Amino acid sequence: MSPFLYLSLTSARNRIVAMARRARRPRYAVALVVGGLYVWGFLVRPLSRGTGEGTAFFLGQPTEMIVTLLIVITLMGSWVFGSDATALAFTQAEVSMLFSAPVTRRQLIKYKLLRAQFAVVINALIWVFVLRRGGTALPSPLRAIGLWVLFSTLNSHRLGAALVRSSWREHGAAGVRRHRASIAVFVAICATIVAGVIMARHELWTGEGAGAFFAALGKVLANPPAYWGLYPFHLVVAPTFAKSATAWSYAIVPALGVMFAHALWVTRTDAAFEDAAIKASADRARRLEATRSRRTMAIAATPKSPTSTLKLAAVGHPALAIVWKNILCLRRTSQWRVFIGPAVMAIALGTAMGSGETDMAARVASGSMAFAAMLLLFGGRLIRNDLRHDMQHLPLLKTLPMAPEQIVIAEIASSAVPMALLQIGLVIVAYLAMLVSTVQILPADARLALFVAAPFAILSLNAALATIQNGAAVLFPGWVRLGPTVSTGVEALGQNVLATVANFFSLGIALVIPLGIGWIVVAWLRQSQPVSLALVVIAAAIILGAETYGVIRVIGRALARAEPSQTE
Amino acid sequence: MIVVRELTKLYGDFTAVRGLSFDVGTGEVLGLVGPNGAGKTTTLRCLAGIIAPTRGTVAISGHDMRSDPIPAKRALAFIPDEPHLFEYLSVEEHLRFIARLYGVADVESRIPVLLDELELVEKRTALPGELSRGMRQKLAIACGLLHSPTALILDEPLTGLDPAGIRRMRETITARAAAGAAVILSSHLLNLVEELCTKLLVVRRGECIAYGTIDDIIGAHPHLAGRSLEDVFLALTADRSPTPVV
Repeated sequence: MSPFLYLSLTSARNRIVAMARRARRPRYAVALVVGGLYVWGFLVRPLSRGTGEGTAFFLGQPTEMIVTLLIVITLMGSWVFGSDATALAFTQAEVSMLFSAPVTRRQLIKYKLLRAQFAVVINALIWVFVLRRGGTALPSPLRAIGLWVLFSTLNSHRLGAALVRSSWREHGAAGVRRHRASIAVFVAICATIVAGVIMARHELWTGEGAGAFFAALGKVLANPPAYWGLYPFHLVVAPTFAKSATAWSYAIVPALGVMFAHALWVTRTDAAFEDAAIKASADRARRLEATRSRRTMAIAATPKSPTSTLKLAAVGHPALAIVWKNILCLRRTSQWRVFIGPAVMAIALGTAMGSGETDMAARVASGSMAFAAMLLLFGGRLIRNDLRHDMQHLPLLKTLPMAPEQIVIAEIASSAVPMALLQIGLVIVAYLAMLVSTVQILPADARLALFVAAPFAILSLNAALATIQNGAAVLFPGWVRLGPTVSTGVEALGQNVLATVANFFSLGIALVIPLGIGWIVVAWLRQSQPVSLALVVIAAAIILGAETYGVIRVIGRALARAEPSQTE
Repeated sequence: MIVVRELTKLYGDFTAVRGLSFDVGTGEVLGLVGPNGAGKTTTLRCLAGIIAPTRGTVAISGHDMRSDPIPAKRALAFIPDEPHLFEYLSVEEHLRFIARLYGVADVESRIPVLLDELELVEKRTALPGELSRGMRQKLAIACGLLHSPTALILDEPLTGLDPAGIRRMRETITARAAAGAAVILSSHLLNLVEELCTKLLVVRRGECIAYGTIDDIIGAHPHLAGRSLEDVFLALTADRSPTPVV
């Protein structure tokens, strides 16, 4: 057996065994049962009649083209921003043992591709179950193969882009010349898409509402010149969206061709990547020094050298020192970068919602509300400057002269409060835009009610979501990925979907009492005027806040009992 | 200042520390020594409040670590063998962070002195990732000393330090003890232990096998009289003579 295959297989096996051993502890055993039920309910449970109809649009033609576009945009990030430099990262042990071993660069790259297969396969399986609810006739094994091809190609592409960029940095103009074919292909793809959108801009803006906008966008992407640029990526996406086994059989051969072409490109890219790989590995090791290799698939952000700081008074409540530290963490680990994607999506969505309108203020209001809603739903998973990061520093946290409950509150506030302030700011922008807009998006009283109640709801919901995620990090540090930045790349797609839905499920449970009381109050008042609704929302937010505080106390007790061995 | 009674730590069926009892008074330096896996780090982590003992009590400056942990931790500094630092805080920001947590009001005057003492002045805006191993250890030491702790726990404090740093660290430990701090020092460097420590606690497999001044220990084992501390340590801790590795 190849030493690389041996290393990959034994590492994967040992990782699974280590995770399974944790399940012997009662807390983890309970979580395993709950998690198993959740996965069964969300993914595996037999579908009832008609369940797929509501989600069939996921596998429709416009979605297929838009998914293709999103994939291209994601991959562009690798080329333009180099955000996937850590795609080159190896563990410290790999750097020590493999880089000094008598193996070629090509063997190392093949090993990188091989090692990623563990995550690729797991995520392909998760997505098979997610898309199974699309209600098409394509058998699951065929879809699994399609997804495997898609994810493997994306992984190869990210690695290839990182290698080219590495060579570029290493050799300057010579590196550009060496990879001119790769760069030319990338530029040509961008040019065709941009040209397609510019040429069809009038069709995009003149439709009525979001549906018309996305239908027009799908049409633009499905026609030249954008279609030419998207074509190779569309080939890879096509098997996943095939509606029958026959269509799949036609689609899979070209997709495999693209996948193997990528593998060939990456393994033939004779870039001297060792320096970049060692730097990326060192960055990651610093980030994850308290973690085991099972979590090293995560992408890590490198702290920037400080050019400025925030003032901190020497005397005052110590909890503010934790918040101060975590805000600096947010600034220095480039976590703001993760807002680019949601912001672009919100602008697109806001533009789409207001595409029939000529009033710019209406579009600003729609976009701001869409952005605020996205941050409310997904923001807590975008920034992790709280216990999801600091559990890596558990020994240090436990020596601090603070009550564990205070530490938990400060940590949760570090991520929840900035996120809530951002959302409140967007609501204010939306409110002001609505005031000056000539289009009445909401009646005046509803607008005012929204403006008054939104801060309470936003604060309590953000605190509740952050508490759920911090609670998971404290209660199950052995299973939760700890670190400052969000997992990206194909290896994280499936887990992120599962984790996000699990968070909402937990929040849903927490909202039962507040919403129930709110419903009773509305029924008692026998009116649903905006002002009454606003008061009910505020009351529900306060109740949710009280529930959250109760959970924080439980997390505080768990933090007091937590031992470093659980995170090591 | 540091009072430990019947300290026991179990991990499942495994006993990491069994019934340790000792005192470290004002101005005393206790050397905690033992072979690898003897339970030294577990003991120190229990004393620092990082892990909870299964049984027994730890009191720092009269405050029980279990029932009254915040005053106990405020009086304490724990400097581990591997410096735990926040990778996104600069050297100076670490000190300001610690100052706020421990309520060090005169931080503005103390920071320059500490940075100068530990030769970190030129690195005051550097992040830990930009520091060498020894400098990170110095920063961890600076964080520990900033609030003038009355109890100081050091786990292999000289790891990574250069000769000048080692000498300075020795002087610092002596000075802190002379100023009234109770110090516990865990180290495999027996010459350092012999030089600095007023008492010795030898542990093996989690149990105390010798406790007292070096003279007391040798007095209890007359056959070790006249032998070096290294010989005494090996005689006390070895199950059998180790086979030399060629």
